[in-house]
Amino acid sequence: MPKTDKLFSKLREIIGEANVIQDPDKLKAYAIDGKKPKVIVSPGTIDEVSKVVAHANQQHLFITPRGNGTKMGMGGIPKKIDIILSTSQLNRITDSDCENLTLSAESGMTLDEVQKSLAKVGKGYFLPLDPPFTEKATLGGIIATNSSGPKRLLYGTVRDLIIGAKTVFPNGDIVVSGGKTVKNVSGYDMCKLLIGSYGTLGILCEMTFKLLPLPEKEATLLLSFAKLEEADNFVREMRGSQLIPSSIETLNAIAVQKMKYAISMPPNGNYLVAIGLEGVAESIDRQIFEMSEIGKKHGILEAVTLYSEKHQAFWIAIRDFSKGLTEKCPNLISLKSNFLISKSGEMLESYEKITQGLGIDGAFISHAGNGILYSYILPAKNFRSKIESLVELIGKLTFEAMKNEGNLVVESSPLSIKKKVDVWGQSRSDYLVVRRLKEQIDPGGILNIGRFVGGI
Amino acid sequence: MDREKMVEELVKLVGKENVLSSETDLYLYGYDASLFRGKPDCIVLPGSTEEVSKIVKFAHEAGVHVVGRGSGTNLSGGTIPTQGGIVVHFSRMNRILEIDIENQRAVVEPGVFTLALKNALARYGYVYQPDPASEKVSTFGGNFGENSGGPHCLKYGVTTNHILGAEVVLYNGDVVHVGGKTLDNPGYDLTGVLVGSEGTLGIATKLILRIMPKPEAVKTMLAIYNTLEDAGKTVSAIIGDGIVPATLEMLDRLTIKAVEESIHAGFPLDAEAVLIIELDGLKDGMERLAERIMEICKKNNVREVKAAKTEAERMQLWAGRKGAFGAIARLRPNYLVCDGTVPRTKLPEVLTKVMEVGRKYDLSIANVFHAGDGNLHPLILFDERNEEELRKVHLAGSEIMKLCAEAGGTISGEHGIGTEKKKEMLFVFTPQDIGAMKKVKMAFDPEDIYNPGKVLPEIQE
Repeated sequence: MPKTDKLFSKLREIIGEANVIQDPDKLKAYAIDGKKPKVIVSPGTIDEVSKVVAHANQQHLFITPRGNGTKMGMGGIPKKIDIILSTSQLNRITDSDCENLTLSAESGMTLDEVQKSLAKVGKGYFLPLDPPFTEKATLGGIIATNSSGPKRLLYGTVRDLIIGAKTVFPNGDIVVSGGKTVKNVSGYDMCKLLIGSYGTLGILCEMTFKLLPLPEKEATLLLSFAKLEEADNFVREMRGSQLIPSSIETLNAIAVQKMKYAISMPPNGNYLVAIGLEGVAESIDRQIFEMSEIGKKHGILEAVTLYSEKHQAFWIAIRDFSKGLTEKCPNLISLKSNFLISKSGEMLESYEKITQGLGIDGAFISHAGNGILYSYILPAKNFRSKIESLVELIGKLTFEAMKNEGNLVVESSPLSIKKKVDVWGQSRSDYLVVRRLKEQIDPGGILNIGRFVGGI
Repeated sequence: MDREKMVEELVKLVGKENVLSSETDLYLYGYDASLFRGKPDCIVLPGSTEEVSKIVKFAHEAGVHVVGRGSGTNLSGGTIPTQGGIVVHFSRMNRILEIDIENQRAVVEPGVFTLALKNALARYGYVYQPDPASEKVSTFGGNFGENSGGPHCLKYGVTTNHILGAEVVLYNGDVVHVGGKTLDNPGYDLTGVLVGSEGTLGIATKLILRIMPKPEAVKTMLAIYNTLEDAGKTVSAIIGDGIVPATLEMLDRLTIKAVEESIHAGFPLDAEAVLIIELDGLKDGMERLAERIMEICKKNNVREVKAAKTEAERMQLWAGRKGAFGAIARLRPNYLVCDGTVPRTKLPEVLTKVMEVGRKYDLSIANVFHAGDGNLHPLILFDERNEEELRKVHLAGSEIMKLCAEAGGTISGEHGIGTEKKKEMLFVFTPQDIGAMKKVKMAFDPEDIYNPGKVLPEIQE
């Protein structure tokens, strides 16, 4: 028996024949950046995850965790993949305590499944997270990549919502952090370490979240502007006001065109500011009125309000912007830049100028209240001949973000680009601690090697 | 290293006037707001990041421990130099470096008092939300180390949700920057791990804070109860109804008595408990929400609900709440504050059990706490000169932590583990969980320079 077979027969022993896949077609479908795994395993319990990981650690097999695969293009090129550890069978709600406003669920559940179940309890509850692809994205993947959406303006991100986690560490230990109390300072806040760690420190198996009751009313206010300066001045006034929108997004014209929600912009409409509102009914009506009034001061061309299905559809289209786009544009490059909140307007302006200067189309969507800008670079024909200029473009865009105390992360791109840039942007002074943490927690270096910051 | 030599070296780094080592000084820096005592080798008062870095580099090379310290309001013995070493006191690094309104951030040195920043922000119409009861003197360095809470953390989250970055001196004197004014920086969330690490991983020399516009409207109510249980049930029912007020605080009879004798906040002396319920945010619908809350109070046998009619009345209620610990200190020479936290649904049952523990050991317990967060603060009153009583206090404190853990809660919600609760960490964590935390300690501070002997209990590896 070849050596690998022996290693994998142990996996079959741990989790059962049916949960170990070695079919070459499936393995090929699970390849990341051209690197094929040798086996796909789907443990059904946390104990099984622990045994699989401990075995892999002993045998020095490389593990890459996977939920539903919506983020496999993110991060650097993996060094080697022996085992893909799928969380698909860890898909239970383990404790739904809406009266305490908390929920515990396993990492393989999709966020949509969780939201649907919560909406049915009493007057209805939700987990206030709205990252991309919620119908497919699993809780584990969302947390491991610190994925977020427009509503982060009001509710924050995973770090503000998670209060407990059960994780399998590389040595196979099942490590519990936090709990189900909303305040907890017992020991180090290990949850924080795992958020956005890309599965390089442990396999997230179960998490506990804070919940909120569903808002009484929701609405969208869409304001179109001719000039970026006007849109930006409006957004500035919004940020400094006592009004409480749940999201403020600024889109350029290309983003509006490419979005899977048809919006007819007025003739001079070049920028769209989309405001999400949710809360008590009275507050929605008043805020729409006041925001429209403020908009008038800054030269809005048109104000449109959306409710119920249209409102929902609009925000799904924003959230899942890149979905479908990749089919039409297989060489799509998605970038995420962060920077000082007050620079939202300047950043969008410079990004538009830089792309136009290189003759490349760019759709831009900015979380204008958070200082985050998503760029979708749409290279036209002759992609191969443009690789150098696209690499140059990413460098220029990174430089702009850095000028404003931020950075740029390449969230997805063709492999040819990935090979030529550091997808994690400019390195930071705290990297030495980041590296030491990885060495302490994963001394054998088996978890998701190559995909995280600095090649970790 | 002998003390004289150490002092001599430190004087070279920060100047004679900034190194303290008299017996009185060593006594004064040997305790905090907990029941523990220790003795440092000396105390240094750095004036800059550079000086902190030099001090730590020296300590690292000499193999001396370093304990950071703000105002010493710590309630779990986190700042006690139990193994001697250098206490780094941040009273000189107390500048607000920047109030950056348009980016909604403030940058402060660790010695700035919480309230000093709030006062500075008020003129811009901005707030920093966390509000530990000791905010008049609690420093940001301390808030960072302990992940401090406060009444308004119910709605806005605790310190960790409001600290976005820091300049940190590592165990060998190296200076790194974690997080920043901007969000979602690539890499592990080191800021998140450092907050609440009780000075065992690094020393912050600069903190970047989230600030936000002051809410448009605020409404504060006082709900008065004839039984503690009804007050507890009201809290569970408000959260259970999906309402998250800005604050939901509870004070019991003994606390009310103490507060009224010293502060005169207007709490009725014949009540068994009161709740301070505050709503904030947009003015729209606030009255309707207040009515919903009043309905819930009524269903749970409230005697009366009073709303603060003026800002002065509101401030008076809060003075009563914030001055409660101090007021209770007048009842007996000492108190032990427990900090157990439970799921909100368990509050009435756990409160009853806490009072049973008091009766079992024949100890007086006063309760004043963040009820909406499920964060209890039973204050066990005693006189430390009575050794038998002191022994019972420790047993009762541990028993309260145990019953919080058994109710699905934890042993500390906001005061930290420090020296006091190390043993009880094993009520809520397995040796594997602790082992994982030790790896984090090893990554940040492999030579155990910072605040040794705190937070993590010894385990068999």
